[in-house]
Formats: sequence, structure tokens, C-alpha cells
Amino acid sequence: MKPPQRGRGGGVRGGRGLARGGEGSAVRGSGRGGESGRGRGPGRVKSESDGGIKGGSKVLVTPHRHAGVFVAKSKSDALVTKNLVPGEIIYNEKRIFVQNEDRSTVEYRVWNPHRSKLADAITTGVDNIWIKPGVKVLYLGASSGYTVSHVSDIVGPEGCVYAVEHSDICGKVLMNMAEKRTNVIPIIEDARHPAKYRMLVGMVDIIFSDVNHPEQAKILSLNASYFLKSGGHFMISIKANSIDSTIAAETVYQMEVEKLQMEELRPTEILHLDSGEEKHACVFGGYRLPRK
Amino acid sequence: MAMYVLYESSSGYGLFEVHGLDEIGQNTEAVRTSVSDLSRFGRVVQLTAFHPFESALDALNQVNAVSEGVMTDELRSFLELNLPKVKEGKKPKFSLGLAEPKLGSHIFEATKIPCQSNEFVLELLRGVRQHFDRFIKDLKPGDLEKSQLGLAHSYSRAKVKFNVNRVDNMVIQAIFLLDTLDKDINSFAMRVREWYSWHFPELVKIVNDNYLYARVSKMIDDKSKLTEDHIPMLTEVLGDEDKAKEVIEAGKASMGQDLSPLDLINVQTFAQRVMDLADYRKKLYDYLVTKMSDIAPNLAALIGEMVGARLISHAGSLTNLAKCPSSTLQILGAEKALFRALKTRGNTPKYGLIFHSSFIGRASAKNKGRIARYLANKCSIASRIDCFADGATTAFGEKLREQVEERLEFYDKGVAPRKNVDVMKEVIENLQKQDEEGKEPVDASVKKSKKKKAKGEEEEEEVVAMEEDKSEKKKKKEKRKMETAEENEKSEKKKTKKSKAGGEEETDDGHSTKKKKKKSKSSE
Repeated sequence: MKPPQRGRGGGVRGGRGLARGGEGSAVRGSGRGGESGRGRGPGRVKSESDGGIKGGSKVLVTPHRHAGVFVAKSKSDALVTKNLVPGEIIYNEKRIFVQNEDRSTVEYRVWNPHRSKLADAITTGVDNIWIKPGVKVLYLGASSGYTVSHVSDIVGPEGCVYAVEHSDICGKVLMNMAEKRTNVIPIIEDARHPAKYRMLVGMVDIIFSDVNHPEQAKILSLNASYFLKSGGHFMISIKANSIDSTIAAETVYQMEVEKLQMEELRPTEILHLDSGEEKHACVFGGYRLPRK
Repeated sequence: MAMYVLYESSSGYGLFEVHGLDEIGQNTEAVRTSVSDLSRFGRVVQLTAFHPFESALDALNQVNAVSEGVMTDELRSFLELNLPKVKEGKKPKFSLGLAEPKLGSHIFEATKIPCQSNEFVLELLRGVRQHFDRFIKDLKPGDLEKSQLGLAHSYSRAKVKFNVNRVDNMVIQAIFLLDTLDKDINSFAMRVREWYSWHFPELVKIVNDNYLYARVSKMIDDKSKLTEDHIPMLTEVLGDEDKAKEVIEAGKASMGQDLSPLDLINVQTFAQRVMDLADYRKKLYDYLVTKMSDIAPNLAALIGEMVGARLISHAGSLTNLAKCPSSTLQILGAEKALFRALKTRGNTPKYGLIFHSSFIGRASAKNKGRIARYLANKCSIASRIDCFADGATTAFGEKLREQVEERLEFYDKGVAPRKNVDVMKEVIENLQKQDEEGKEPVDASVKKSKKKKAKGEEEEEEVVAMEEDKSEKKKKKEKRKMETAEENEKSEKKKTKKSKAGGEEETDDGHSTKKKKKKSKSSE
């Protein structure tokens, strides 16, 4: 790898960049007036976990093994994605600005593994997330759209994310976010009945399920039978306590995997995420994969 | 037997005919393998008809119906038009495959078209979904996604009951425009003064107000034509007869040069423009006031429309304003001072945009900070009520305003203000009373046994007990059920507002209010 040099480095790799912390972004906010006031409260001095980047340090941004995801290296590393809508942030996350050779800036948003299971899976070292630029993703359990926004960054303008969320309150936040990002299609509907929103969804390449419901295997398989293409892939996040809090976590994961296998959802990877207090596992796999 | 398949997409309804049924039989596996390849699938399934939706509204109706499993008229006519006729008495020689059995039974009831939705059909539909954009020639790639996007947004908006009238974006834009307008009007007005002063320099000193100046200059036109006759007109504009006389005098002895008629016309036009802009500014201000009372009535009642609108626009939206803590609200607008103070460990500012409300001005220097904090707290409450409660009422805002006044008095004179708890209770009671009055004519006598809602006889005796309970319970504002309001209303009428009964048991009866109740304090 080329040693990082100030002012050199092409496009995506970027050169030395400057990370601005929360204070910097607030000052910028008042300078630009109302335009960037959205989503940011002035006077908010950062206290919660931010994914590792401190303000004011020099950062180097390199692509991650997974296409569309990047790593920002400084004193501590952070996972970032390239912002599809420069200037907008969803949740007070930090942003990293990188100067290109031609003096244009590229904006990256920090992805917090404590907030997002997908980021957690990536940092834990999953082989293949299958989400890459240009794919269509069906996201069940979109909530307020934090992870959805990062997925939308990854798939880019060519791909699209169908975000299904049942709750009204989260739905409103999701819809606000979707108004800015045109590759997110918000669907405020119950994921247990994919027939209800079948008019709004096309065939997708990947289903990502984060619903935390005891019947989530059934939900995933039903949605897959409607919308997931043959040879497509899925990721499901399993919270052991949501399924059955009395039995051991390992048993729960096994049970869920068996349920999936019965519905032609063949798991290829199972990752245990133990970064939080709750016991989570992420199962990645394929749907109707051709028999070898 | 012929088989058709109905596919609902966001751009329209599609009807497909399934061929080669005999070969495949009803074998799902075979369908699956054929789905992967468009050319093979194209031989199995062919497009019979496609009916695009007329408009976005039509599409929304269709998607709502489809999600419920109901057949709309458009769908019915589409099917009847394109499927072979079902003859009476004879068994139809075809069947229609659907994704949802519920819709199927509905269609069958209405049109006698036999429907089926089994695994086989689902596999076929998967294939159609996969290759849909290739089937419909008119659809360019990307069109389908756009229609999905638009339709999903309108569907979701309907689900979360998105109310157009309560969009705060209008206020934010209006306040920006107001500021821009002010600046522009000022510049133009200065320009008019300078320009006309070439002709009539003395007028500048006599008429100070920009808007009046523009009117007067338009009216005077050529100063040499000024006579005594003009006094009434001038008086009307200036409001002062002496001033009018002054103007006439100055006009006679003026040292300004004459302007040609063409030049005069130009000045006139420009002066007219300034006046129009000023009029527009007034209208815009009225619009802003109306909008504020629509989207944030309590905030407007508490600190005024201008300051309220500025706060909202600074925070970015009403939701953002409601989310931030009241300490943030207090110094919204003073970020530069805030961060400078934080970095240099100096004193942080006491107030930001809030400063422009009248209350801060009325407090003595020592108490400005305290009032600012108190006001910010109340503003937070008001903005949260505005953002999250249904229904637009200014009752809370007015009461909060009274509280701030009381606190000002307290700092002035030491008169103890009321507790917030009591004030809020009052508001809720008033609102319930209003609600009740709005809904039914007030019952004159409480002792009437006939109640509009069947409540049961035993509760009449308990009205006495309940009224006293009610006054002591603290309620949250959200839902006022009519029966509760009715009870309350009757109880209010029977006695004076705050009776204090000691430790009355909370009668748990049909007035199942959905409000959260806190236990009543017996000593108050």
C-alpha cells in the first residue's frame, strides 16, 4: 500500500483527511444557517459512544474488504460509509472529510457497531455480507433507519433499500430520512404479512432481518418466498432472549437455524456478537442455492 | 384448462396467461427452473393485459385495497375485460391465480371467476416479479422503482397520518423570507429616498418613515404642482396636518432640481414597488402568524410568533426543537459565545434567541438569567405539547405564559407563584369542559337520570363522590373520552372548582379514562 502522503492519493482511497468532532460540526451548523440545522442540536458536546474517532485528529480512509465499506484509521479505527447525501447526518454521528487530489471533499459517516448489528458483524469479521453497490435489499425491522442509512450508502444510487417498519413513531423518522435519500423506500407495514405490501416491492437480492420476534424465522421465509430471488442471500439477527429466554443461547440459535433450513434458507455463516450485554447471533446464508 | 395470473405492481395491474400447463403440470419444481431464464419463462408465461394506474391517487387507492385483500372497481373491470366471460351455469374453463386467497374469495363472490393461490401460483408470481420490467415494454428501467418509491411514500404517509397542515417547513421558509424581505425593503427604501431627494431634498427630513416616504413621494409627484389643495391628501397619508403644511411650505422653497416627466415616472414606479413589497411583507407576516397558530399554537402563545418561528427554524424542525433539552433551547442562537466560553473556561451565555421575547426585557438585570432559564423550560414544555399532542389548542400556552408572568412578579414583589402541577390541572379541566360543551348541550340539572351514554344507575350516586375525586386527580392531557367529560362536566356544574375532600376512595368505574392518573394528594 502506498504510504499516505498529504495531498496525494486518488479518489476513493483519499489522502490525509481531517476528522472534525462534535464541536466543529456545531459551529459549522450555525454558519450555514438553517440548512444543516436538521438533525443536529447545537450545544451538544459528545458524550456517547461515537465509534472511536476523536475530534481533530488526522485520519486515513481505506476501502474495506467488503465493497462499499471503508475503514478510517487514526488512533483508533472506525468503520465508515460514504455519505450518499453529503451534508446530512441521521443521528449525530461523526463525519470524516477527505480531500482528493482535485481539491474536492468526500464525506464519510462513522458507523457505530454498538448501534448497528451489521456493523458489529463486519467488525467481528464476517466473510461476506453480500450487500454491495447496486444490489436491492429488503430490510425488515428498519426502526428509525440508522442501519438502513448505512446500507443505503453502501448500495449507492443504483441499488435500493426497501425498509419495512411497523411502528408509527419510528416510521415517521424513517420517512423523514427517506425523503432525503431516494434509494430508500419506506414501507410502514407489518412484516408478518408480506402480501400486504407486495405491490410496493420488486424482487430483491438480499433480505436483512432485524425484527426480534419469536417467529422471525417464519417471517423471513415468508418474505423470501415472495421477494427474494433464487440464489439470493439473507442475514438474520437473532436475539436469544427474544425467542426464548429460558433456554441456553446456543440452543436457541440451533433451533432457529433448523427452522431456516426447512424453508430452503441455507445458512453459510453464524457469527456470535457479544459486544453488548445481550446475546446476539447473526446468521448469513443463501436462498435456494443451486445444489453443488 | 387455461390459467391466468394476476400481478399487482406499483405502476399497474398485469394479467399473465400461463402456457405449457400440460408439460409442467402443476409442478413447482419445474416452474422454478424455468423462472431463472427469461426466454424459457417467457414461453411459460405471457402478458395478456396491463392496466396502468391513472394517477397517484388511483394507485394509492389500489394499494390500500390490495393490502386489505379487497377488490376495487378498477380491478374488477380490468379482470372482466380481459378474462374470458364466465357463462352462467357453466363451469368456467379457466382459473385465476392470485397471491392472496382473501382477495381471491372476494373476486369470486363478485365475479364468479374461480381463483386459486397455491404454491404453484406463488412460484409463477415470483417469476413474474423477477422479470416484470421486461414484460412491460413501455416501462423503462428505473421507472418501476420510481413508481414504487412514490407509492410507498404516499402509503406510508397515510399510515402515520401525515397531516399536511402541520408541516413546519412552511414556517421555516417564511421566517427566512421575512428576514430577506426586511433587508431588501430597507435597501430599496433608502434608494427611493436618495433618488427623490434630487428633486425634493427637504422631504427626507420631514418624513422619517420609509414606507410613508414612498407614499408621499408618489403622491406629490412633481413638487411644483404642490398646492394647498393637497393638504387633505397629505394629512391622510402622514396623519398630521402640521406635517402636511410643512411639506407644502418646503415644496415651495425647495432647492431641488426639476425632473423630467420620464424621470418622475421612473421614480414613481420604483416607489410603487417599495410600497408593494412592504404590503407583501405585512401579508407574509400574517401568513406566518396563521401558520404558527396551526403548527405550534402553544409556543406562539407563550413567546410570540416571531421568536417561536425563529426557534423552530434554528433547530431545524419542530420535532428537533421538542427533542432538545431546555438548556439547549435557552442558548439556541448563541452557539459562538457558548463554545468560546466552554473552550476558554469562561462564563457561558445566559440566553440566545429567547432574549427577544418580552419577558427577558422586563426582568431586572440580576434576574435575567433566571427568567431565561425559566422561560426556556416552559418553552420546552410548550414545544413538546405542540409536536406530539393531537389537536391544536392554545390553552397550555396561555397558562404557561401566566406562569412566567407570575414568576416575574415573584422576583419583583415576592408574591409566590402557583405550582405547575395546579396550573396544568386547571388547563386540563378547562379543556375537558370545553370538549363537553362542544359536543352536547349542557344538561341543566345534574340529577337527571337519563344520561346520554348508558352509564348505569349506580354511578349517579357516585357522581358526588367522583366530582371530588376528579378535582384531585392529576391527568395527562391526551385523550378525553366523552363519558369522562360528561361526568366531569356534571361534576363541575354541581360545585365550585376546587373542593377538597380528604382521602376519597378512587371509585373505579366505567369512567375508564385512558389517561394516566396519579394518586390524589389529600392535603393540598
